Amino acid sequence: MNGTTTTAMFRAAILDPAKRAHYRLAWLSTVDHKRIAVLYLLTALFFFVVAGVEALFMRLQLALPNNHFLHPDTFNQLFTMHGTTMIFLVVMPVVFGFVNYVLPLQIGARDMAFPRLNAFGFWCVPLGGILLHFSVLAGGAPAVGWFAYAPLSETPYSSNLGVDYWAIAIFVMGIGSISLAINIIATVISCRAPGMTMRRLPLFTWINFVNAFIIIFALPVLNAGLAMLLIDRRLEGHFFLPLRGGSAVLWQHVFWAFGHPEVYILALPAFGIVSEIVPVFSRKPIFGYQFVAASSMAIALLSLGVWGHHMFTVGMGRPLDLFFSIASMLIAIPTGVKVLNWTATMIGGRIRFQVPMLFCIAFLIQFLCAGITGISHAVVPLDWQTKNSYFLVAHFHFVAVGAIVFAVLGAVQYWFPKMSGRFLSERLGRWTFWLMVLGFNMTFIIQHFLGLLGMPRRVFTYPDLPHFTWMNMLSTIGVFFMAAAALVLVWNLIASFFGGKTAGDNPWNAWTLEWATTSPPPHENFYALPPIRSRRPLWDVANPDRPDPVVGENSSAIQIVDKNKAGILTFILSEAGFFATLLLAYLYFYAHPQPGPTPRELDVPRTLIFSVCLFASSLTFWRSEIAMRKRQRGSMLGWLALTVALGGIFLVGQGTEYWKLFQTGVDVSTNLFATTFFTLTGFHGLHVLLGLVALLIFLWLAWRGDFASGGEPAFEAAGYYWHFVDVVWVFVLLTVYILPLLR
Amino acid sequence: MTTNQFLTTAWKWNPALLLFCALTLVGYFLAFRLRGRPIYLGAALIIFVVALMSPLNALANGYLFSAHMVQHILLVLIIPAFFLLSLPRSFSLPGPVKALAHPFIGWIAGVGAMWLWHAPALCNAATTLKAVSIVQTTSLLLMGSVFWWQVLAPRDAERLSPPAGIIYLFTACTACSVLGIILTFAPVSICPVYQQPIDRLGILDVIRGQWGLTSDRDQQVGGLLMWVPMCLIYLAAILAQLARWQSDPATNPEKSHA
Repeated sequence: MNGTTTTAMFRAAILDPAKRAHYRLAWLSTVDHKRIAVLYLLTALFFFVVAGVEALFMRLQLALPNNHFLHPDTFNQLFTMHGTTMIFLVVMPVVFGFVNYVLPLQIGARDMAFPRLNAFGFWCVPLGGILLHFSVLAGGAPAVGWFAYAPLSETPYSSNLGVDYWAIAIFVMGIGSISLAINIIATVISCRAPGMTMRRLPLFTWINFVNAFIIIFALPVLNAGLAMLLIDRRLEGHFFLPLRGGSAVLWQHVFWAFGHPEVYILALPAFGIVSEIVPVFSRKPIFGYQFVAASSMAIALLSLGVWGHHMFTVGMGRPLDLFFSIASMLIAIPTGVKVLNWTATMIGGRIRFQVPMLFCIAFLIQFLCAGITGISHAVVPLDWQTKNSYFLVAHFHFVAVGAIVFAVLGAVQYWFPKMSGRFLSERLGRWTFWLMVLGFNMTFIIQHFLGLLGMPRRVFTYPDLPHFTWMNMLSTIGVFFMAAAALVLVWNLIASFFGGKTAGDNPWNAWTLEWATTSPPPHENFYALPPIRSRRPLWDVANPDRPDPVVGENSSAIQIVDKNKAGILTFILSEAGFFATLLLAYLYFYAHPQPGPTPRELDVPRTLIFSVCLFASSLTFWRSEIAMRKRQRGSMLGWLALTVALGGIFLVGQGTEYWKLFQTGVDVSTNLFATTFFTLTGFHGLHVLLGLVALLIFLWLAWRGDFASGGEPAFEAAGYYWHFVDVVWVFVLLTVYILPLLR
Repeated sequence: MTTNQFLTTAWKWNPALLLFCALTLVGYFLAFRLRGRPIYLGAALIIFVVALMSPLNALANGYLFSAHMVQHILLVLIIPAFFLLSLPRSFSLPGPVKALAHPFIGWIAGVGAMWLWHAPALCNAATTLKAVSIVQTTSLLLMGSVFWWQVLAPRDAERLSPPAGIIYLFTACTACSVLGIILTFAPVSICPVYQQPIDRLGILDVIRGQWGLTSDRDQQVGGLLMWVPMCLIYLAAILAQLARWQSDPATNPEKSHA
């Protein structure tokens, strides 16, 4: 039997679902977006229970004054793990789960644009979760808060491995989130069904499309910060260590430049969920589609530039406070527009008060409260008073639980029938809802007043001051109601999955395409799609006599961008954010010179020669591409090999430069110039190396005879990446080597 | 000199600039009669006068980096935008200038206008030397026009498509924000002229004392102006692009003409 036949048989076995069904590991090796979505959701549910129990323990400790139920250090660990887990292992995966399930269905796609990348993105979450929790076995969980403020997070103050595991775990999960965001963008751009123009996108899809861009820009900033933190901790760098000239405030800037957009990364999908459920259960189209769509974009853009309002108490100075204050207040406008849209959708609608809608109504009210306390923090003097109190704890839990978790619970009830083919129990759902409303408000409303009375946050216990005790006790009791709600929810999920009422294809009489297929959908999602002329294709099918007005031009052919290009360009955007952060950190410390080596000791002419090699490699790659299009295999191979060689020469040049510096006793730990220099050029070198690996793979494929048919989008995509790496070097060269010469 | 005295006396009616305004007005009506939207031209000219003849100009002229930044933003982003909006729908570029109407050139012009003129040497020279200042003002207006052409060209067909326009504006916004961030946090003076101003008008005590604008704070405000309010201008333009995208071409008369 020869090799080709074996491969063919193997392929046939893999592609035949009947033969594959017995594979016990099918769920673990799946690349189907629906299964991956379910994995995301189950992972989130698991960690929701874990982090919920952590919260329960913390509230038990805080139920009474001067309590010694938990050791202070244990409290700090629980407090860090609760925050980190809830954000990175609960809310992000749950949101990603729904996006993964619903988004391809809503645009009539067969799957996500890159199914394997999708699986990779998911598996980063459990890997991160395991890394994070492994710290408990490796000497203690991190005890620095989910914000890990420097210098507390630095080795002298947190000497065990907790923070290292924390940073690596979040780094890994950040990579997973970015890969999903790339996938979302490429899917929406390249995999829409005929007729599904961008203007006809359901709001859930549109909002998550916009949200993916925030992820693309925000997460790399955090990852750059984490890389710097790890270099400080493992290689004795000095980024955030004031003792050695570093800046603890820089960490706060980097962290909140990610942290504030992160709030919207979590909240926007919730807005998307509400924008789906409210119209369906009000039996009216959404009021002001354009305004919901545009305000999402406005929120996304504003969110990237207002992180300073997390730092009013740092002492950034009047001008910064003033500008950040005004910019933060502006966010109230698009957010208010949205609340208006949802409310106006309900007005005059025949509302069905079923569980998904109940959660959305509670969402609206609680989100409004969260927004009002939120905007109060944009007022600098008020912020100074309340920032480090329970008032702030109450505020962000109103956002995270009162708004986001409520919307997510609504989504669970709404989309469960699509995923399982069965309804969740309405009766149990109501129990969850009312227990949740009661427990949540009991826990967190009172915390506003606790904060205003002066109870500081991030403390493991408090003295027996007037009112503190009963207020804290009430808050703790509330948590038990929420825990009960969670238990009912889990029971509901299990019971309904096995014995719930059967749901049809479209149990809620909704209008978007996910309801146009069976529940659960077949592996390939759709057998046939209805015609798409408006934003509510299923309404048009059900009401042929009064369809929605046609939206936009009704051309059958959508101009589709190749998914490889869309994906790689998005990836490049995220990488640009990563390098921009490293470059800004370099410049920041360049402007504050420290004793020790300076950029003047670098060998500029030598580096210029090697740089020319790198830049030339862009040209040779371009030649190779032309040869490929002309189907000149030999010429293509030659130019590609030359590209690899030039890239290799550049790396050798970098290596010898490092070697010379090491010889003179300069390494990462020498001073801040050395730290920033090695970080910046090192990460660039790493990218060149990865680019070379990719090019070598293409060289091998081409040598074997692939790409003989001319144009190959994947090859061009690799080219974009290679050019990008060269462009980054232009900036690094200018900043590190040329800038000092100008002085 | 008090603040009030300064605000009333620091207007400098530059005859050359007034003549330029008058010529522009006459030229506009000769060329387009009433086919364009003269209100936008009026707005552009009034802002032009405010930017270059009001106390703002006096402050920008060696006293305050932040005032310079306001002037800079008006010249690059506001005046060219209003000017392009005033042109009649039928207007299109004469042949040789058309080469400039490429998105890449537009983007470079818009971002370059911000970065180039804030290189310390150029920034200093533009504040101290009259000739350089004239070159700067002219180039800012031109670069701003080339930048906005991609978004505000009179004919719909000559503009970028809305999604492309959004990317164009967003990336430009990011590139300028990075400069704003650098200016805000730079511990050294980007434009050293403003550190020790020559007090020609006797207003320095009021600025430093009454207004509380020390030279460090002044540069911070300048950086923040480039970072935040300027981004809001781009944001407004992005939202306008989105509105254009969502508007129905069938009910949109200008598109059916094109």
